[in-house]
Amino acid sequence: MRELANKRLSENLKQSIKYLTLVFNDFFILALIFLFGALMFWYAQAMKTIPNNLWFYKPLVGIILFLPLLTGHLVTLIKDADMQFLFTQDEKMEEYLRPMYRYSLILPFVLELLVAGILFPFATVKANISVWGYILMIITMLSLKDDQLIIEKRNLYFGKKIDFWVSCLVVLAVAILAAYSQTGALVISLCGMFIEPNFQPMFGKRMNVKKFFDWRYAVDSEKARKDRVYSIFSMFTDVSEKQVTIKRRKYLDFLLPKNLGKENPNSFLYRRSLLRNPEYLNLLVRMTVFAVLISFLVQDWKWALGLSALVVFLTVYQLLPMATEFDGNIMYRVYPISTEHRGRSLVKVLNSALFLQWGIISVFWLIILPINLNVFEAIAGLFVFVWVLTVAYLPYKVKTNKK
Amino acid sequence: MALKIEHLTGGYTGVPVIKDINLEIKPGQALGLIGLNGAGKSTTIKHILGLLRPQKGTISLNGVVLRQQPTKFKQEVAYIPETPVLYPELTLKEHLELTMLSYNLDEEEAWKRAHELLKMFRLDDKLEWLPIHFSKGMRQKVMIVCAFLADTSLLVIDEPFTGLDPLAVANLIDLIKKAIADKKMVLMTTHVLADAQQAISNYAVLNNGTIEIIGSLKEIRAHYGLKPDDPFDQLYLALNREDNGHA
Repeated sequence: MRELANKRLSENLKQSIKYLTLVFNDFFILALIFLFGALMFWYAQAMKTIPNNLWFYKPLVGIILFLPLLTGHLVTLIKDADMQFLFTQDEKMEEYLRPMYRYSLILPFVLELLVAGILFPFATVKANISVWGYILMIITMLSLKDDQLIIEKRNLYFGKKIDFWVSCLVVLAVAILAAYSQTGALVISLCGMFIEPNFQPMFGKRMNVKKFFDWRYAVDSEKARKDRVYSIFSMFTDVSEKQVTIKRRKYLDFLLPKNLGKENPNSFLYRRSLLRNPEYLNLLVRMTVFAVLISFLVQDWKWALGLSALVVFLTVYQLLPMATEFDGNIMYRVYPISTEHRGRSLVKVLNSALFLQWGIISVFWLIILPINLNVFEAIAGLFVFVWVLTVAYLPYKVKTNKK
Repeated sequence: MALKIEHLTGGYTGVPVIKDINLEIKPGQALGLIGLNGAGKSTTIKHILGLLRPQKGTISLNGVVLRQQPTKFKQEVAYIPETPVLYPELTLKEHLELTMLSYNLDEEEAWKRAHELLKMFRLDDKLEWLPIHFSKGMRQKVMIVCAFLADTSLLVIDEPFTGLDPLAVANLIDLIKKAIADKKMVLMTTHVLADAQQAISNYAVLNNGTIEIIGSLKEIRAHYGLKPDDPFDQLYLALNREDNGHA
């Protein structure tokens, strides 16, 4: 079982590296360097101006150090077929899960240390936590993550299960406590590790410890975990493994043409895909919210215009795979649907979405930016940008994408 | 006016799966394509649907050659696949609307026909459902409704009885009989000969990618040295013997 686990881990690592290479491409790295630089500049300036020792600094340190712990669920790499082929291996699953558990610690530990490093000046200078106290706090956070993964591992067996969000609430409470009493919080987190073998008395006889593996739960949890990982990758690149769950969203039906006569099969399909496929609609919503948020943060019409234009462009770029979305559907190829002009249909559908995005961003600019003539110039500028995108860039890219 | 398959050779790679297939189905005729797994039934169907490119030969329907006018050809073909394939983002009602749009159907007339079909397959109260809410059998029924709604001159049906309840099987057989009576052409692959023979009297036996015989079940039984009342299983056993003989 250990060999199987190691083999799967190495395959998973290869796949992750493949996608990470695509995500962290040259442009993204460059954007990341700029963003990180801007954030660090703002942080350095803030450190000079903000007052020391305000009441909320300590809980804030606890909350920020808690955030990286939200990442990194237990990686099990259990597959559907395991329910059939490993069904008799319940008692050996502990052996299988051991390397998985160690692997699962890597990402949250790295992120925790990174965030802890960035937060160090604030925690020690402004929040007045001693250096040793801060180190103890970090050790506490790492052992809390370890506790969380132990709970997730336990949940894979039949018996009472502890929900991830319940464990997060407890971890958050301990993290905030750690900002005040590092030793106390560390003791609590270490207790969590040591009471693990004694879970059974805590939950009564229903907890059939490490005997009866809950295959259905394990498969579903791993699917959900993978889906979350693929969702992050798919924000930057195409992920063929990602399974999409369509949402009906009847409340959006008013955006669909009532008269069938005005439709063609391609636009009929693209419209519904845009509204019901979470990949696309969530992207549109996410990017629009992002544009509004950064406009609010920069509070400057020129920056707001430039960054929002970039966001709109990235939205278009990420919606382009819609062009070939139905090619894998055998009925799309069997039905007499002409693919010759489908690019035009997609452009028509995306035009409406982009102008809607422009409208929403403009309304928010009027609310969040200082009102003057420049804001109206920015709104007009963004409109021109969207228009150029829809008449020149989008048709060109759809055409080349098709090829 | 007919489906004509002439000297069709093809498959998935360079090595042909089907070799020199010749078939003709005239209006009002139905042909069952039978054979063991891997004989080439699905490959033949994929060629007729334009999903695979033939290495040799031509496929035409009512004079329209598939390779020359694919969209015009497809306009006259409806297909029921073995595994139902629906659009996850469309409701049942929208699947019917897409069929109407794609096949340029008159909406009013099509809806009349659609309601009859939906009632027949007990789907009339599920118009707003997404495929995710349907069982496998219900999905197959949606495929059947869409195919018969399209009202094309050729119906291609691949293993239609898998996963259907007995009521739906009876309804499908009735629809096939009616299509034949309405001078449509039907090509169907199946292993369930007991059900198929209620609607289809002529069969082509595919073995190792070639057609061994075309005829009635009685003629096919005679060809393989079986008695007229021998069960259908015997026919497959005979095919298996032939297959081993080839090997």
